[in-house]
Formats: sequence, structure tokens, C-alpha cells
Amino acid sequence: MKTNKQLMIVVRLMLAFVYAVYGCTPVSNNNTVKQHKTDTVEIKQMAFSPATITVNKGDTIVFINHDLVDHDITEENKKLWSSSPLHPGQSWSKIFTEPANYFCSLHVVMKGKVVVQ
Amino acid sequence: MKKKNIPTIGLFLLLNFVFIVPSLNAQQATKLTDPEVASVAVTANQIDIDYAGIAQKKSTNSEVLNFAKTMINDHKAVIAQAVALTKKLNVTPQTNALTKKLLADANKTQKQLKAKKGVDFDKAYINNEVAYHKAVIDAVEKVLIPETDNAELKALLENVVPALKTHLSHAEMLQKTMNK
Repeated sequence: MKTNKQLMIVVRLMLAFVYAVYGCTPVSNNNTVKQHKTDTVEIKQMAFSPATITVNKGDTIVFINHDLVDHDITEENKKLWSSSPLHPGQSWSKIFTEPANYFCSLHVVMKGKVVVQ
Repeated sequence: MKKKNIPTIGLFLLLNFVFIVPSLNAQQATKLTDPEVASVAVTANQIDIDYAGIAQKKSTNSEVLNFAKTMINDHKAVIAQAVALTKKLNVTPQTNALTKKLLADANKTQKQLKAKKGVDFDKAYINNEVAYHKAVIDAVEKVLIPETDNAELKALLENVVPALKTHLSHAEMLQKTMNK
């Protein structure tokens, strides 16, 4: 019947939606859903705040420049990654899978640390 | 053997602490108006931009060039904020005796910097940046902020202090490296 076919299509679409949303979410060995978080590091008064942040592997950190001047975020030891200069009000985000010491390459005395657990 | 550039450091400390800070403190008898404070603030920032411009022409040291570029960008940003605020407040920065004194002293320092070359220039530039930022921080904290009446102008000056202190730390770090 036409109504049953339409109902089946709706059910399939709903299943596809559920799979799309939850099917890609990492699941740990004990089948509990592990959600990645987003944390924020503010740049204000010429400092990263908090200066040291602890995140879980895969979490995202958003860096927001609330200062009067431009800043960037650059990996300190081997310059493995760097944001472009952030103007006041701009932000930049990065997913962290490894710990990192970072600094502002424009103001080299400004430093921060990401601890990944 | 460590070579301490004591005469140069002494000269800049003399120029900045003997002339600039007492000049600023002397103004306390005749309190600076807000338009005069705005003029001094803009002039002090422009002077450091001009020093950095000389460094960009004369230095080949990448750390010195990076520092000079940051000085230009940061002090331009501060001037832009100050100009925007004075427009908002409908205030015209007013040239005064202190502005003129700052410019006259800067002119002498520029001549001294332009006469130097290579490593001697780099050391002289960075030594001056250390001395200049110390003097400006002192002046902003002890004279300009206390003498400013307008709350927004006062807040801008207060917000600039951390940037000046970071510049000083950066310059001191370079100075330490150069004098090793």
C-alpha cells in the first residue's frame, strides 16, 4: 500500500539519520559513548589564560584573542604548527592529540602548555 | 669575555630616567589635561615605531627584526585605539611641553642609533628599547594614569601597561642573549 511504503521510507530516513549522528561517535571498549569536548584559552592582558590546560585526547581548544594587539599560537619546541596572527576579537581552534608547549611568536615571552591525558 | 655595554646602557638610562621621568613628574605641578595626556601617549608610541623603523633598515638579526616588527604593529594598534577614542570623545590631542621634550630626546637617540652598524647597532637598539620601555611604563603608571580624568582614556592607558611590560621582557631577553 502506498501509505506503508511512505512509512517505510520515513523509518529508513530516521535510521539513516540516527546512524549518521551516532554511528561516527567514538565508542570505547566498554561501549560507553565518549564525547570530545571543546575548551577555551583566552588571550588577554598579554597572557594565555589558563596558562596550562589539561584536555582529553581529541578535544578541541579554541584560542580567542581578547587583547589590544595581534597574537599567534605556535608550537614551541619544533614549530610543528602555528596559527596565523589573530587580530583582536579573532579566534583559532585546534584538535589536540599530543601534549604541547606553545608560545606567541610575536611576543616570545608569552607561553602556554597543553597537557593531554 | 662578556662585554657589557655599560656606557650605552648608562647613556640611555640617563636620557630616559634623568630627563623623561623628571619631566613627567614636573608636570604634576601643572596637571596634564586629557588632550595633553592623549598627545603624550600617541607621541610615546610613535617614537618607538620610529626606532623600530630604523632597526628594520639597519639590522640583519632575525630576532631583532622580529622584535622591531612587533613594536611597529603593537604601537600602531595602540595609536589606532587612542585616535578612535579621542574621536569618540571629541577630543583633539594637544601638543604640550612634554610632547616636545619627548620628541627632542627621541631625535637625539635616533641620531645615535643611525650612527651605529651591525652588532653595535643591534645592542644599542635593544638597550634603548629596555631603557625606553622602563621609562614609559614608569611614566604611564605614575603620571599619565593618575592625571587622566576621563574613565575610558584611563582604562585604555591601564590596558596598554601589560603590552609595555611584555615588550620590556622581550627586549630584556634579547639583551641578555646579546651580552652573553
